Amino acid sequence: MGAGLLASYGLFAVQGFLFLLPRRLKPPTRRIFAGKLDQFEVGSLRAVMDLQGNEILLKRDQKELRAFNSTCPHLGCRVHWEADKNRFFCPCHNGVFNADGVATDGPPAAAGQSLATIPLEVDERSGVVYLEVKDVKKRQV
Amino acid sequence: MSSQPDLRPGESRQSGNGPVERLKAMFPLDWEIVRHMGAEPIPNHLKKWWFCLGGTILYLFVVQVATGIALTFYYIPTPQEAYASVAVITQELRFGWFIRSLHKWSGNFMIVAVMLHMLRVFFTGAYRHPRQLNWCIGFLLLGTTLTFGFTGYSLVYEQLSFWGATVATNLAEAVPLVGPWIAFFLRGGPEVGENTLTRFFILHIGILPTVVFILIAAHVLMVRLHGVTELRFQGEQDSDDTKHFKFWPDHATTEILIGVLLMYFLTIAALIFPAGLGEPANPNVTPLHIKPEWYFYFNFRLLKLTSLKISVVLTLTIVGIAFFWPFIEEWLRRRWAISDNVPVVLGALAFMIFLVLTVWESFS
Repeated sequence: MGAGLLASYGLFAVQGFLFLLPRRLKPPTRRIFAGKLDQFEVGSLRAVMDLQGNEILLKRDQKELRAFNSTCPHLGCRVHWEADKNRFFCPCHNGVFNADGVATDGPPAAAGQSLATIPLEVDERSGVVYLEVKDVKKRQV
Repeated sequence: MSSQPDLRPGESRQSGNGPVERLKAMFPLDWEIVRHMGAEPIPNHLKKWWFCLGGTILYLFVVQVATGIALTFYYIPTPQEAYASVAVITQELRFGWFIRSLHKWSGNFMIVAVMLHMLRVFFTGAYRHPRQLNWCIGFLLLGTTLTFGFTGYSLVYEQLSFWGATVATNLAEAVPLVGPWIAFFLRGGPEVGENTLTRFFILHIGILPTVVFILIAAHVLMVRLHGVTELRFQGEQDSDDTKHFKFWPDHATTEILIGVLLMYFLTIAALIFPAGLGEPANPNVTPLHIKPEWYFYFNFRLLKLTSLKISVVLTLTIVGIAFFWPFIEEWLRRRWAISDNVPVVLGALAFMIFLVLTVWESFS
């Protein structure tokens, strides 16, 4: 009888737990237009908005064009680009990242973290830059 | 032959037919037991207010419940409406600013009172055998009170509270093994949003109050079962006649008077420093100057000083040691026969570190 009681109440507990825990779904993504390659000057940084309204910072150097996620890898705050100091700064715990997105000071540097990059694609024929970003926010269930 | 009428099935005989007798029969309470419970002998040192901090916490909790229920009449727990509804409470409703300020200040006072109560218990050694379990229950009450503060602050949905919730849930993610599950469960998804707000609301008005009620009941029950710790002060007479006074009406009167004094202080705090409102939450921009509520300053400073993993492991270790301290101390005494001064020095050191980190962060 004990096993039966345990099984029935246990099943109810599992159902309740699964109800409260949202499913871990890979968020749908969408390709968005970020500009034309010749609009990104070498050594300069340009910001575009994703579909949630978050800043994505695109930096072009001699080798490539990269798009940085503005979410700090430490505890999820948004980093600010400080043009005068040529760095990203996170105001939550004083995290500092250089222009290549590598942490140089604060807790993210201690943990060897860098800003995440966002996948981008350059159409070779037209020179159009596309970013792969999260689709418009839907309620998580 | 008996003159009393016959009883119907299930009915029992009563001594009189008046309404009071009928009511007593319906609620068959043994008043002798109630009188005995009320006459609990209280040690004389509880006439001093700093030994009445347990009752102070209970009083502040009642204020929290009363003002909290009032606020729930108007608060709307959705990202679109939360901030606006708090603004309506604060700026438009009659005495809304006062009720909200009382709620905020009674919460802050409660956290201070819980901390002071725990310090008093620690430094007077009142957690020792056989009261170890009550220390653990008290520690859980401290944790629940801090969670109350955090969830309540997040419900305002202003910039600082939104980013505070973001940092805290990401911090939970760094807890070894179960962290990612806890964070996902708390947020109701991968990031702070509408699911988070409703979860924090349910926690704040439903789950946490229930937990606190149960813990307080268990805490008070343990105090009654063990009796209040007898403390001996220097130069005190040892006569049993003068060592105690009665809970009812003597100590209850002291608690009621302290309650009046607390209402007075709460009103002054609400009048001079009413609860304000910052910028509404913007998930896309972290403000340049961000700080949690004062009771998390020490942790916030620790996060700036060390890496995420170190600060989380350090915090969990300190919390674990503090929670199990009565048992750890017993083990230390058996193993190395440590003197009474060792726990006092360790406790003072831990509290000083907490104080230094808190003051440091408040001035940075």
